[in-house]
Parts: sequence; C-alpha cells; structure tokens
Amino acid sequence: MTFVDLTFFVCAAIAIYAGWRVFRTDSMVRASFFLLISFIAVGIIMLLLAAVYLGVALFFMMAVEMMVMALFMMMFMMNPAGLNPMNMVHQEKVAMGIGIAAFVALSGVAVFGDFPSRPVPDGLDPVVSLGKELLGNSMLVFESAGVTLLATMIGVVAMTSHRGRFGEANEGSVPPGLEPGGDPAGKPQENDQKQQGHHHHH
Amino acid sequence: MVETLFALLVVLGMLAVGSYAVAVIDGAAGAVLGRTAHSNVFLLPIYQCASFWLVPANTTEAPDAWAWRLAPVLYLTFAAMGLALVPWSPSFIPVDLTTGIVLWGALEPLATVAIFLHGWSANSHFPLLGAYRYVSLGLSYILVSMFVLIGVSLPAESLQISAVVESQRELWNVIRQPLGLPLFLIVGLGISFWGPLNFADSSDLAEGTSSESSGRAKLLWQFGRAAMLVAFSAIGASAFLGGWLGPVLPGPAWVILKTLFILVLLLVLGRLLPRLSPDRFLTLAWVLLLPLAFVDLVWAGVEALP
Repeated sequence: MTFVDLTFFVCAAIAIYAGWRVFRTDSMVRASFFLLISFIAVGIIMLLLAAVYLGVALFFMMAVEMMVMALFMMMFMMNPAGLNPMNMVHQEKVAMGIGIAAFVALSGVAVFGDFPSRPVPDGLDPVVSLGKELLGNSMLVFESAGVTLLATMIGVVAMTSHRGRFGEANEGSVPPGLEPGGDPAGKPQENDQKQQGHHHHH
Repeated sequence: MVETLFALLVVLGMLAVGSYAVAVIDGAAGAVLGRTAHSNVFLLPIYQCASFWLVPANTTEAPDAWAWRLAPVLYLTFAAMGLALVPWSPSFIPVDLTTGIVLWGALEPLATVAIFLHGWSANSHFPLLGAYRYVSLGLSYILVSMFVLIGVSLPAESLQISAVVESQRELWNVIRQPLGLPLFLIVGLGISFWGPLNFADSSDLAEGTSSESSGRAKLLWQFGRAAMLVAFSAIGASAFLGGWLGPVLPGPAWVILKTLFILVLLLVLGRLLPRLSPDRFLTLAWVLLLPLAFVDLVWAGVEALP
C-alpha cells in the first residue's frame, strides 16, 4: 500500500464518519462543522486525484459556506448558542431509504461500471486546463451565471439593508406574540389612536 | 526525506522564532511609544509564557470540550500551513503547490472557523459575543484578501507563490499595485485580531473568545495569533516585496529581512492606529476597503494586459 492509498483510505473513513456524525449530533453548529470536516476530507481526496485547484477551492468554499450556514441556522432556530440539544433529523425513515438506495446505486456504478482507461498525459497542467475550460469555451455560461448571482446579492442587500434605499428594513414589522394572536412581545406600544384605546381597555 | 525533514524544521523554527520576535517587537514598540512600562522586552515574553504554563486550566459549565481544546491547535496549525507555503529561494520551498495562493486564501476562512469555534465552544457569554462579532467581520476580511491575492497572481499568470515572486523580478508588486500591500496588512491585523482590529478578543468583551480560557490553552491561543501575524508577514513579503529577490545577500536572508520589515510595520501600526467600534469598522470595510480591493484588481488587470 502506497502513501497515496493510505491517505485515500484515511480521508474516505473520515469523510464517511464525519458525514454520519452530522445526523447523530445534537447541535446545529456541530452538524455544520462535521459536514465541513467531511468536505475537507473529500477535498484532500480530490487533491490526490490531481484536481489541484478544485480540491483547494473546496476548502475555502466549504469553510465560508459552513460558517455562514451555522450562523444563520442558529439565528433562525432561536437557539442563540446552538448548544441546546436538538434533534438533527426529521422524516428519518424516508431519508434513510433514499440514502441507502442512492449509496447502493452509486456504489454499483463505481464497482460494476465500465470506465474508460485514459491516463492523464504527462505534460497536462490541471489548473491551466481548468482555467481554459472556464474562461474559454464555457465562459459565456459561467460569466452570465456569476453576474446574475452577484446582481441578485447586491439587489437583496440593497433592498433589505437597515439603511437601504427603501427606508428602514424593519418598518412596520412587529415581533410575534408570546401566545397565538397575542400582543407583540417586547415592543413598546405604537402611539396611535387604536393602540391607545387598547391600553384603556386593559 | 532529508529535505522534507529540513523543511519541517524550518517551519517549526519560524513558528517559535517568529512568535518570540512578535512579542519582543511588540513590547519594544510599546516601550518606545510610551504605551507600556519599561521592562526587559527580551525576557518579558519568556516570563509571560512561564506564567501561562503554570496557571491551572479553567473550565466552564458544559463546554464543547473537543472544540474548546482543538480550536487553538487548529488556529496554530493554519498559521503553520501558511508558513510552509513561503518560498525561501528558487530551490527551497517547503510546500510548492501550483495553487499556493488559493490554499492561503482557504486558510483565512478556516481560521475564521477556528476563531468562531474557540468562542462558541466555551458555552459562555463573552466568548460567544466575541465569536459572533468576529464572524460578522471576517467575511469582509476574506473578500478583500481574495481580490488582493488575485491581483498579485495576474501578472504572474499563475497561482503558485514562487511564480508570483518570480514575476516581480523587474518591479515589485508593492509599486506595481500600490493598493495591494496596505489592504493586505489590514487583513493581516484583522485575521490575527491584532491591535485596533482585535474585535474577537477585545477588552470591551473581557477578552472575548479567550475570556474563559487560561493556562496552557490560552498560551497556545496567543502563540497561534503571533504565528498567524508572522505567516501574514512572510506571505506579504513574497507577494508584494519580491520574496527572495534582492542584490548581494542570499535569497533566504532577503525573505527574513522583508518579513521582519512587514512584521515591524504591522506591530507599530497595531500600536498607532485608532480603534473603531466594530459596526463602524464593518461599514468601513464594505464601503471603503472592498471597493478599494476592486480598484486594486482592475489596476492589476489593466497593468497585466500585454
């Protein structure tokens, strides 16, 4: 067994174990970072496959993505520290069925598939050829997608920003009530006629 | 095999000597600028290390023990990986990856994850606030750094750090792309949360992410910050000051001199620059620094046109 084989098996084991832990852990933050570990192990396997750029790109893309995901999930979960235990799975029977079916199908393709044997030529520079592919033949597709995404992001920020061009982001919004249909929680009463009357009623 | 061992020793030596140099230069800068009491700047770091080493480790109620122990180790590891990417001479480069610039760009977000984990895992208020605050700022550092680094790889037509150094044979990037180095220095102060950009471990949060850690864990964390600053200086020296290129002296000597120059600059700036509130700095980062990084990138692109 060569060093490359050994690295592959270790990284594959880490990727599978960390991927399994994503569903067995009890915190959004831990789940995100287990997923990050899994992706980093896959990135190292891609480096072994001589995908030098894609492997390293996976590191930084997944690091930023999982960081942002952990943060946003905690904000939406109303679980500020993400340390409160919570269940990471729902509809687990269906998910397990689909997961096992997908694993068997993909493994079947990997094991029984008839792959062409085309060794990479000696002089091939993977980074340069990837750059030629992205900025040559497929440039129009990638650039249109990239500019569309950028425009969407800037548009969303411009519309939702607290000091954006459409005024206060939270204008007219009220926090949810503590009980269904109840008064907004933790917000001073609006000073208009209706709210005043409401006050008198109490 | 011998070469690999030697490269490993060089990286470990950089970690130790560089971090000590950070402590000495920072102490000397503080003494010269009259910000700290006069004491022996060469011995003080050693006393501080010894005191951290001997203090018992603190623990909190129900921390994420694994993440709390691992976060300082990870942060130091990312700094060491950055140092391993530094080319010393055309023939001696510990890790000469064809995508070295991208790997350095990946270490910055990974360091952000380590800083967040350090604050989050303590299960305590101030560390968590420091962690949130750092992440909200971290994205702007990463974006600025990414554009600046794309800028230096344009004239080199390569993502390899040694090729970036070689591309500066006629003219260093610090002159060719004048906005690059200042922006990179700001990112360096931000990611090692040093001086005015110490938002993660700042005193208004009772030392933020490290307010609950003590003893050897804290020593490791401070060691990691200093090492990250050294890694930033060494990568900055390679990307903007022509790395090993220079007359008379051999390549590695130039790398050390240029790294020390950037390190001193960073530490003095860390002492002199005013501290902004985090939300003001966030506005500054998105409204001023990020557009400046775009200008730098366009500048680099126009300049690199054949």
